[in-house]
Amino acid sequence: MSGRKLATLGAVSGAASQALTGALCGALPGTPAGLIGGAVTRAIAGAVFGVIAAGALVAQANAAPIHAAPIHKDLHFNVSARAGVSVNNAYGSISVKPSSGNTVSINALLFSDKVEVDSNQTGNRVDIQTHLLPGATVDSGRVDYEILVPADASITLHSSTGPLRAEKLHGDLTLEGADATVDVRDITSAHVHVKTLNGPVTLTNVQDGHVEVDSLSGDVTLNRVTGPLVQVISTSGGINYIGDFGDSGEYRLTSHSGNIEATVPETTSANVSASSVRGEVHDDIPLQPRTHTAFIVKQGSAFVGTMGRAAVSSTVVLRSFSGKIHLSKRTSK
Amino acid sequence: MNCVELHHSLTEIEDGSRPDQRAHLKTCPECSALVAELNLIAATATELQAAHEPSPRVWNSIEIALRQEGLIRAQHAGRSLLPAFSSRWGWARWMAPAAAVLLLTVGIYIRQHSQPQQIASTYPVARPDATDLPIAGLNDDDLMQEVAQQSPATQAKYTDNLRRVNQYIADAKSNLAAYPNDEEARRSLLAAYQEKAMLFEFAMDRSLP
Repeated sequence: MSGRKLATLGAVSGAASQALTGALCGALPGTPAGLIGGAVTRAIAGAVFGVIAAGALVAQANAAPIHAAPIHKDLHFNVSARAGVSVNNAYGSISVKPSSGNTVSINALLFSDKVEVDSNQTGNRVDIQTHLLPGATVDSGRVDYEILVPADASITLHSSTGPLRAEKLHGDLTLEGADATVDVRDITSAHVHVKTLNGPVTLTNVQDGHVEVDSLSGDVTLNRVTGPLVQVISTSGGINYIGDFGDSGEYRLTSHSGNIEATVPETTSANVSASSVRGEVHDDIPLQPRTHTAFIVKQGSAFVGTMGRAAVSSTVVLRSFSGKIHLSKRTSK
Repeated sequence: MNCVELHHSLTEIEDGSRPDQRAHLKTCPECSALVAELNLIAATATELQAAHEPSPRVWNSIEIALRQEGLIRAQHAGRSLLPAFSSRWGWARWMAPAAAVLLLTVGIYIRQHSQPQQIASTYPVARPDATDLPIAGLNDDDLMQEVAQQSPATQAKYTDNLRRVNQYIADAKSNLAAYPNDEEARRSLLAAYQEKAMLFEFAMDRSLP
């Protein structure tokens, strides 16, 4: 136990002893404090409080000790082009940025001695594993990672709590975390796969990507995300797309009860179909109607049409059961 | 030793180091080249094995598939295809492959329902009914049992997510029934099951030591 904690406990001890003295006197109505004598009362109170304090100390010793200062651990690995880096973290953040050379640098911040960081390099692959020791909790088992990798490395990140961040990379990315906030930005020519249960997902400036996002109840925001395939599946989280849908990709935004909002510039070219079984559907952009559709277009619950140049356009499918769907034009600032 | 005998002998001593093998290899450039190639492949394969060792989940999936095919039986002792699991959570490790099997089953189910009626009547097949989840040994009780050791707040989240995803599946099923020729309706049902599989996957991950 740190000195500061002991000092605090000592201060509390004095106040609590006095309070306990009063309580003892009150609990013995036939024996006023003056009759028993202040010394006796104080002795009993001191003994009782001593037992309580000792119990608290034992309990503290058995609980997962958390260091006053987190433990730093640095790891470095030499890799070649297109390396693979995997980080499996039970609790805590993982942030990945590009390095200048062919080196994978791991800076880990361990929040207690109830957790360890295991590493392994096999060929051109680096695996980092957070190892929880017996008694570790969400707090004491936390490790925050800051990682530098060659920009072309393939990255796999997993953390239950997150947050997970990756930026300025062009290797494939896989990010998973039940409650993790996911933030991915400035990615080019890569597969980006994200899975969360509750955490919100934000993808910003992902170009030429093969993007697949599954989020059960977390909101998903895609800002300037384009590529051959952009697919979002959400059960109850909202889906917000801001961008121009590229020029030849397939964009599928699907939700059960979450709202879907797509905001596009006027120059967008896309074949759009939108349908909500029980929700409302609105489009603020004039669409050229299509005669052949895969489903029955009911006014107010679906729309189908082409915006911009049909010859150079992406396919956009917006689908929900009870969520609202809104396609709107981005206003120039 | 002739060439045929050498080829047979390579199944026992595959690097050609036996004295009679060496004697033949000195006089036969074709066999010598063959053995050199085999040695090269063997050396390279070792490196590949180290660099691309599949994850335990891959082995899980392979083993569960082999069991379902009846090609292997459960091993009670000795080395298994699977990495050793603690008995407490052993059953839970099957959730990921079970989820994969569930998705496969649903995919087949959807595909079967998407075939034209004429084909369906020509080739009658047993179709899973609405209670198709137990097919993969995957049910909601298993999920809640898996997260039973977690905090009440976490359990509440899983309960809520389970309710939402089950509603998603129910809606997707009824919509597909109403519009059986709608490709997007089929995709939605698959997406709903995908969400449920993900929920199980995360529940399993939480229990990892």
